[in-house]
Amino acid sequence: MKVRSASPAIGGSRPRNLIAGIALVAVIAILGRPSVASAAPQAAGADSGNYIPRSQYLSPVAMTLSADGRWLYIACEDSDLVLAVDTRSQKVERRVHVGRMPRGIALSPGGKFLYVSNEDSNDVTEVDAETFRVRRTLAVGWGPVGLTTDRAGKVLYVANTLGDDISLVDLKSGRELKRLEAGHYPEYVALSRDGSRVYVANLLARVAPVDQPPVSELTVIDTSRQIVAARVDVPGVIQMRHIAELPAIAGGYLLVPFMRPKNLNPLVQIQQGWYLTHGLAAIRPAAVASDGPKKYQVAEVLLDDIDRYYADGFGVAATPDGRWALVTASGANVVSVVDSAKLRHLLQNTPPARQQELANRLDSASQFVVQRFPVGQNPTDVLVSPDSRFAYIANRMDDTVSVVDLGRMRIASTIDLGGPKEISRERRGERLFFNASHCYQGQMACATCHPHEGLSDGLAWSLETPQLGRDVVENRTLFGIDGTSPFKWNGKNPNLETQDGPRTAMYIFRSQGFSPKQVNDLVTYIHSLQLPRNPHLAPNGHLTDAQARGRAIFFRDRTTDGRLIPPLDRCYTCHSPLTRYTSRVSMDVGTATHYDTIHAFDVPQLTGVSTRQPYLHNGEALELEDIWTIFNPEDKHGITSDLNKAQLNDLIEFLKTL
Amino acid sequence: MERASAASHGRKILWIVGIFLLATSVAAAQDPSFYTKWTNYTSANGFPPGEVYCVTVDGNRVWAGTGHGLVLLENGRIQKVFTTKDGLAGRAVMSVAVDRLTGDVWIGTFGGLSRYSGGQFKNYTNLTSGLANDLVYGVAVQGQYLWVATTAGVNRLDTHTGSWSIFNESNAPFEEPWTYGISVGAEKIYFAVWGGGVLSYDLANHYWKPYTDPDGEMELVLYRNQGLIHNIVSSVSWNPDTKTFWASTYFGLSSYDGRNWHNYLTKDSGLPSNFINAVKSRGNQVWACTQKGLSEFNPTTNTWITYRPDAKTGRGEILITRPDGSKRQIASSTTLAHNYILNLDFQGDDIWVATANGLSHGARQPYKQQASGAQSTARSLGR
Repeated sequence: MKVRSASPAIGGSRPRNLIAGIALVAVIAILGRPSVASAAPQAAGADSGNYIPRSQYLSPVAMTLSADGRWLYIACEDSDLVLAVDTRSQKVERRVHVGRMPRGIALSPGGKFLYVSNEDSNDVTEVDAETFRVRRTLAVGWGPVGLTTDRAGKVLYVANTLGDDISLVDLKSGRELKRLEAGHYPEYVALSRDGSRVYVANLLARVAPVDQPPVSELTVIDTSRQIVAARVDVPGVIQMRHIAELPAIAGGYLLVPFMRPKNLNPLVQIQQGWYLTHGLAAIRPAAVASDGPKKYQVAEVLLDDIDRYYADGFGVAATPDGRWALVTASGANVVSVVDSAKLRHLLQNTPPARQQELANRLDSASQFVVQRFPVGQNPTDVLVSPDSRFAYIANRMDDTVSVVDLGRMRIASTIDLGGPKEISRERRGERLFFNASHCYQGQMACATCHPHEGLSDGLAWSLETPQLGRDVVENRTLFGIDGTSPFKWNGKNPNLETQDGPRTAMYIFRSQGFSPKQVNDLVTYIHSLQLPRNPHLAPNGHLTDAQARGRAIFFRDRTTDGRLIPPLDRCYTCHSPLTRYTSRVSMDVGTATHYDTIHAFDVPQLTGVSTRQPYLHNGEALELEDIWTIFNPEDKHGITSDLNKAQLNDLIEFLKTL
Repeated sequence: MERASAASHGRKILWIVGIFLLATSVAAAQDPSFYTKWTNYTSANGFPPGEVYCVTVDGNRVWAGTGHGLVLLENGRIQKVFTTKDGLAGRAVMSVAVDRLTGDVWIGTFGGLSRYSGGQFKNYTNLTSGLANDLVYGVAVQGQYLWVATTAGVNRLDTHTGSWSIFNESNAPFEEPWTYGISVGAEKIYFAVWGGGVLSYDLANHYWKPYTDPDGEMELVLYRNQGLIHNIVSSVSWNPDTKTFWASTYFGLSSYDGRNWHNYLTKDSGLPSNFINAVKSRGNQVWACTQKGLSEFNPTTNTWITYRPDAKTGRGEILITRPDGSKRQIASSTTLAHNYILNLDFQGDDIWVATANGLSHGARQPYKQQASGAQSTARSLGR
């Protein structure tokens, strides 16, 4: 492999490799020291007058209502709390500590128990809704978020985002019955009105060739057999979140918010608009089922207007009669009210041949969106009271709940849930991260391409204006990037201040961008993003046999037949454990294609690599295996051709622990 | 006291004898029944032509692996033939396993491994996953693990973590890595290894144990009932009812109950051929899929029943071999699609049979009924 070399020759003689290796090790040793960029969290702390631990903020993110509408239960992800708000007095009456990072909440059919998913502790807390005490903790899969019970209250369905699966828990014994594979990053779930199905919305598209439009999955579970009944393709979209089912009288549609990217076009198109659009999938079983699995009809409509976008749809709820559906735009701080009769009219009067066109039309929202309410910062979940009088919107970034009077179609009040009134630098940065107002026409926020608070969206983008259509690069995660500078695949940005400063305004947002103070806030927030707990690594850090064998391969300096591996061809040289398994320099590992104008790419850190599909700078490697089996034919990406399949599997097992 | 005790003892014996006589008389009164109602699925009625390599029953659904794709039958009707155009990993389908817990269907093909779930295929190949080889002969589900038999050894996929393990000659007692079949027991998993005998994997203690032919001879059986009859094992079947595993080889049939081996050859059993492609056992039934017909063996009564079309006339014949070696042949108006049998599975009392030229569905009917009909005749062949 080469370090930013213009020479086409790869490898070379042993002495030259050794010298280069020594030089690289020296470079790594220097770069491995804490950098200015990596000191950013300390800088945040140094702003002592404005340092507030994140856990002091509540961050309401998911809600459920008691059957009579009296109690609003709210999961607050940053404070690990569940609150009970009396909807009459609009006061927080009770609170209970649950697991780490509660992200979802559901009520048992009889209303006796609350189930709260704790994303960071991989469990569900069962709370007695009357005493508001924790009854027990149920182990589930990795990164649980959305959850619901079946109609009988016997089985709990939990979407595990990191595990890409759904845990089914027997609520009598508390034991996990089974796990069903979902799509990619399942987040939220909904029980069908008749109780026969559990629907699971997946945040990211299926892992697939990056030169194809994304296809996301709505996973449909048959609750009688407890198996996956259908995997419904939702084409062209990602970031499906909450699900609302309209009653049959209103068409019986499942409504799911989405983001529709045009990432196969150059990003420069954002200044023309219509680049990142936001809308609703309207899905329902086909009227006439053909042979085989039951088919579902999928239609897509945009909620955006021609000159203003409502970025990052998140929550959706329908009134019991199905007349209204409310959708939160978490990046626009707006709730849109959909007249479902008008939406149904549009869907049913659009010929099948024009359905795809409908998914891209920016002039259709005016036909069915009857109201837009400005609400608090980063609205996530929305609920409608059983009597259809009120809607409640959780404003995650300002610890409030907006109450909409649906009769008068106006904001009736705002419930203050508590939490610090002073906004820390990190919190300011977080607000910026989720806010799309900094982008031309509000098309996108940082969180649009980095959903789930910093994740990569798994898509490849053509970012560089001078090379339209060339240098298409895979999006990168923001988790745990502290100390991994420089940034961008070409390694041109020495720090996040450069990455998120004027360059972002010019090339990405196509607007005035952030002020220097805002950039500092944003950078502080991004540096605070930590990798989720690694489910592949035992809590005590012990490696399994396969992981230990893989570790030995990663740190080897000889091939399996005893030949010395040149330093530059060893895994750990470029992916140094001293610096989160990156060398922080650019390398040519033979992965450039004729669409690339450069051949050396920033060495990505390997921490959290198992959650970062796809791989390589352009996302061509869909699985870790592909890196070596398909894209390393000449051993330019380290010497790996001597490894047999079992050894390669072991190496991957080790990498997944990082 | 002693007289009272002796009387009590005598009454017990009388009871036992009485119950035995009653049971045997009831058994004798029952008519024997045979699979005489056969429905065949061949190219003549829309089924893919040629060999059917495997068949797996999933409730009212039946999955059949052919050289031209995967066939789904529902309530006896062909619903769909899945091919690579539908997303299947390979054209030739060698094995199918249904995960009873999740409903997912795992398919072993000659182009890799496929999972069919919710109407969608997801594929795993040697290049894009931890799969040891794309020639997949066998698949089996064991809890959250999927076991895969390939030409390059055995794979285990943890479906919860996505972790792949490979077992071959480097870490297990494989004399040959080429693995054909898998059978899952409660405590052990059994593998049929071509040229390597049978291997078992102890799930609790994580150790492997080989079962091989003690004489090591290719064509001879020097040590009868001393071990596996031959190392070229085509399939293995664990019977939880009798705590016995059965192994089919290309040179005879073997069983092992943990203490004793029993071997079966054509020369001293009802087997129509020593070339056996597959074996399946449940209760008192052992089914051997041979190159000259399908045999049902009852180890308790030591009776063999072989079903096949007559090689010359194509008419159905049922050959019964009694414990004393005497044989009786019954004609049947319907029969299997072909006498070269590759695999079978049970659907209640019915059986589905994969043959070299189509799929057959057999239903058992009382012999008395069909013997009285015009379509069947019986004749004793003596010994």
